[in-house]
Amino acid sequence: MELKKVIKAEKLDEVLNLLAENRERAKVIAGGTDFVIQLREKKIAPEVIIDISDVDELNFIRKSGEFIEIGAATKFTTIKNSGIISDAFKGLKDAAGHVGSPQIRNLGTVGGNICNGSPAADTVPALLALGAVAVVKSKNNTREVPLEEFYLDRGKVKLEPDEILYAVKFLNSKPGQGLGFVKLGLRNALAISSISIAVFVETDNDINCKDVRIGSGALAKFPIREKEVEAFLKGKTLHEDVIEEATEFFGKILEQRLAGRPPVEKDYKPYAIKGVFKEALNKALSVVC
Amino acid sequence: MKTISLKVNGKPYTVEVEEDMRLLDLLRDKLGFTGVKEGCAEGECGACSVIMDGNLVTSCLVMAFQADGKEIITIEGLQSEDGTLHPIQQAFLDEGAVQCGFCTPAMVLAAKALLDKNPNPTDEQIKEGISGNLCRCTGYAKIVSAVKKAAEYLNQGGK
Repeated sequence: MELKKVIKAEKLDEVLNLLAENRERAKVIAGGTDFVIQLREKKIAPEVIIDISDVDELNFIRKSGEFIEIGAATKFTTIKNSGIISDAFKGLKDAAGHVGSPQIRNLGTVGGNICNGSPAADTVPALLALGAVAVVKSKNNTREVPLEEFYLDRGKVKLEPDEILYAVKFLNSKPGQGLGFVKLGLRNALAISSISIAVFVETDNDINCKDVRIGSGALAKFPIREKEVEAFLKGKTLHEDVIEEATEFFGKILEQRLAGRPPVEKDYKPYAIKGVFKEALNKALSVVC
Repeated sequence: MKTISLKVNGKPYTVEVEEDMRLLDLLRDKLGFTGVKEGCAEGECGACSVIMDGNLVTSCLVMAFQADGKEIITIEGLQSEDGTLHPIQQAFLDEGAVQCGFCTPAMVLAAKALLDKNPNPTDEQIKEGISGNLCRCTGYAKIVSAVKKAAEYLNQGGK
């Protein structure tokens, strides 16, 4: 398709109407940090581009009842500096702060991070560990999907052509909970994650693991929950030897999962995960309040 | 074609842009701000960085039509009308933080974006502030010194 029309939207209604009207012919641009490259490489060829980066209704971080809600067009810099996200969930701010570079974080949005479906998206493991839910809107409908069920394949999410990701939301922190995030990349800035891990824990005073959720990036076709490792830890007391056992267990899982992958993945990641996972879990425990 | 209005270095422009044009192309090819450099064209090198509404962004990753209504600062907007260099530019010269010069305009703007928000950055904060800008000549040490010196100049009310 030839690009015929570009529209800078101001209102959400306008975006939803345009999507209803143009469906497959239209693509939404927010931060553009992936989009512009894909457009130039002709990996996408929309007839209509709808810019949502200045739609205020999609740019917010707010408390809503028991939930924290983040609008899809909220930039990484805004998340990184948010005063609304609690210290216990600092891991999410850390994840946003690990994206790209200052320039990329000033453009890129959490919605783009999710909807582009990159296996290495940095904020997604953190959101998965928080048990986040995607709020999806179209002209006549609003629906909610658990983020872990939102992915179809590498680069593909469950959005109909007339739908847009409106926000993500997750339960605000409670005493005893913490979120830790660690990213392993070639260097600090502008590195695509080799591994990223986010760990959510809920413990009692005796560090018994009441609940745990682990989100991983760059370990599968898209960011996923690591439910086997979660099951292994749940109900146990998080002493050093238990954590050690869990890291070994995580390594074994990856050996199987990545068996057919190139050496850089199948040999390196099962080994590297041990340090990354342990650090993320300890970070989560250190911010429990 | 689409008509957009924006401000560059304080001056208003109304221009026709092609649908698939990037902000980088608009600034360089239509408006003649060639201090904006195209390096990698994928947001990795930072050479095309400009300040948009107060924030440093890579202009290769912004579509021109998205810049409708925005205020852009390029390196051309830093020196005074009489040609006096901006204190950050002066600090880069004084510290020998310029070699081939290709990264320099964006590096100076990265320093400005940082110092506008944080007038007394630590070395770590400076390194983070310029972490999206690659320099293949200097090894960065002199650039970090220059940003520190620039902070001094600016805190003294400009040199």
